Amino acid sequence: MSATGYRAIQHRISGGMFALLLMLATTLSACGGAGATSNAGPASGPIRIGFSMTETGANAAPALFELQGYQLGAEAINAQGGLLGRQVQLVYYDDQGSTATTVQLYQKLITTDKVDLLVGPYQSDLNAAIAPLVSRNKMAMASMDANLTVYGGQYPYLVQSITQTPRYMSPLIDLAASKGYKTLALLVQDTAFPQALAAGVKAAAQAKGISVVFEGTYPATTTDFSSLVLKAGASHPDMIIGATFLPDSEGIVRAAKAANINAKLFAFSVGPTEPDFNTALGSAANTILGNTLWFPTLSTAGNADFVNAFHGKFGRDPDYHAAMAYGTMQALAAAVKGAGSLDQTKIRDAYLKLDIQTVAGNFKLNETGRQLGYQAYVLQWQGGKQVLVWPSDVANATPQLPHPAW
Amino acid sequence: MQIYLILALTGLLWGGVYLLMATGLNLIYGVMKVVNLAHGDFIIVGGLLAFSLFTTFQISPWIALPIAAALLFGVGMLVHRLVLAQIDMAGSQGELRTLLATFGLSYIVSNTALLIWGGQYESIPFLQDALKIGPLSFPKSLVVCSGAAFVLALAVQLWLTRTASGRLVRATAQSELGAASCGLNIQRVRLFTFALGSAMAGGAGVLVVLLIPMQATTGSLFGVQAFILIVLGGLGNFVGAILAAVILGLVEVSTGYFFGANAASGVIYLIFILILMFRPQGLLGQRGRI
Repeated sequence: MSATGYRAIQHRISGGMFALLLMLATTLSACGGAGATSNAGPASGPIRIGFSMTETGANAAPALFELQGYQLGAEAINAQGGLLGRQVQLVYYDDQGSTATTVQLYQKLITTDKVDLLVGPYQSDLNAAIAPLVSRNKMAMASMDANLTVYGGQYPYLVQSITQTPRYMSPLIDLAASKGYKTLALLVQDTAFPQALAAGVKAAAQAKGISVVFEGTYPATTTDFSSLVLKAGASHPDMIIGATFLPDSEGIVRAAKAANINAKLFAFSVGPTEPDFNTALGSAANTILGNTLWFPTLSTAGNADFVNAFHGKFGRDPDYHAAMAYGTMQALAAAVKGAGSLDQTKIRDAYLKLDIQTVAGNFKLNETGRQLGYQAYVLQWQGGKQVLVWPSDVANATPQLPHPAW
Repeated sequence: MQIYLILALTGLLWGGVYLLMATGLNLIYGVMKVVNLAHGDFIIVGGLLAFSLFTTFQISPWIALPIAAALLFGVGMLVHRLVLAQIDMAGSQGELRTLLATFGLSYIVSNTALLIWGGQYESIPFLQDALKIGPLSFPKSLVVCSGAAFVLALAVQLWLTRTASGRLVRATAQSELGAASCGLNIQRVRLFTFALGSAMAGGAGVLVVLLIPMQATTGSLFGVQAFILIVLGGLGNFVGAILAAVILGLVEVSTGYFFGANAASGVIYLIFILILMFRPQGLLGQRGRI
């Protein structure tokens, strides 16, 4: 054989080998893909629950609690025999706190990954962004969006599995009213959840005859709160309440302490619920109040076991985000069992009929999917520890008020 | 009347905080013409390191400061030797190349920080008491940060203008060929300058974390503020930077008080645009040095 002929055969063989290897590689990767193919038949293999979570980004820390709550919840479902005789598996991605990314990820979960069930992401605005997509695809989704805008019936496949925002701070206003406080300065971060929270606070205050003497908003990236706090203090309010997240609540406390702005009551959302609030502020965190949707000492169904299991698996105590996420998994399991199948419309109908006790309390919805059962509570930092102070029938400590002078 | 005094002093103090974060960048960009987009992330690493040292080992931030500065000095040396020294600085593309390189570096640093410290905002309860001057009170941490900032900026200006080593750095910045022909080891000077700027960022982080909670991925915010400040003051000019810090701090705090916090967050960028339009060399900068 001539030299060129031999080489030609070599090339033909290597070309064929290459094509064979390529086909082999594609088949292997398709089989090995993380459950993202339709190789698992409809009546066998795990039931896949899909969602996105803010694993990186500004809200990663509370979102991590949610993720862990979902994970523990899924484990609990599997330990009790799974759903419809099959084990459940979580399929999730990092949405980085971005609306655009979340929409893409849920599109992927629905159309490419073809997950069987959906639950929602962490941030309220992300839940709102995917509501149309999820409803268009007629997939039932239990969502931890506390804001009410999406539960008016326009997205019939969405159900709320967290306390509604207007209720968040009502118990705080109750506590304030019981102490006879009359005036309030409200500081609001300029994003969806704090704004809805502030609206709830104002409504509750009005109902109790408390007047809002100052209201100031600020962008989420604010680092210097001195002017805001000075203006809030100028009207000498009885209470300074912030609709905040963690860094701004810390900034406001520091600014108030520094400028010696005193009030009888200081309260913030999200911030004081996080253990890092105390780590960052030390003694300045003492007697600061926060709102929470759950507390480890509550005697809701299975709460003590949940707290122990969470601590055992993740090495730290759960917070209310984790409890709500775990409760979401419990509600999901109950809804699927009630529907008896993976039919999304049946599951949605089953959600609307649920009246069950989860670790977060009584899960009960109205006819448009709004959460009626879940409540809110008031916690306080006392001596470096979080205690539940209101309502008094579930409290494990008495509220230390008024806030001492800085 | 008292409110104006409080606003003026608070503005001055916060200007100092921005100055503290910007001085290292002023050295690196203003003098070396290296656009370090990872500057804000270096600040965050310094701050989070101080947080870890405080919460795990109860090490005071005063001790954490030289530790963080030394660590970031080392990091800066590594970055320069491995990355920046390999980049061809010749021609108009030189700055763009370093910009791209440090853009990637920013991602590496912030994501490494995210892996180490997670996504939570962290801060330290240190020097949180109020410093009372008559009827006025300010946070001790703010006064300390600001004081350190003005002292540092003045010290760097004096070093650059009055000492031999400082003149070496300026000579290298003005003309590498000229400096080399005078016998200067260019690479060593650039290495030292970058490392020093990074060390300043780390030290700044230790002080600023007492005031502003830091999260691994929020470095770019500090970096942008630092850039605005040094451009406003004039690149490489530290007295200009002090002036710019005073102006920015006063404007931000006053705008926040009279027009609300939303206006305050935008007014700095507005000033930046105006400066670029009408006096691009900055307050005390020289034309043509941009």
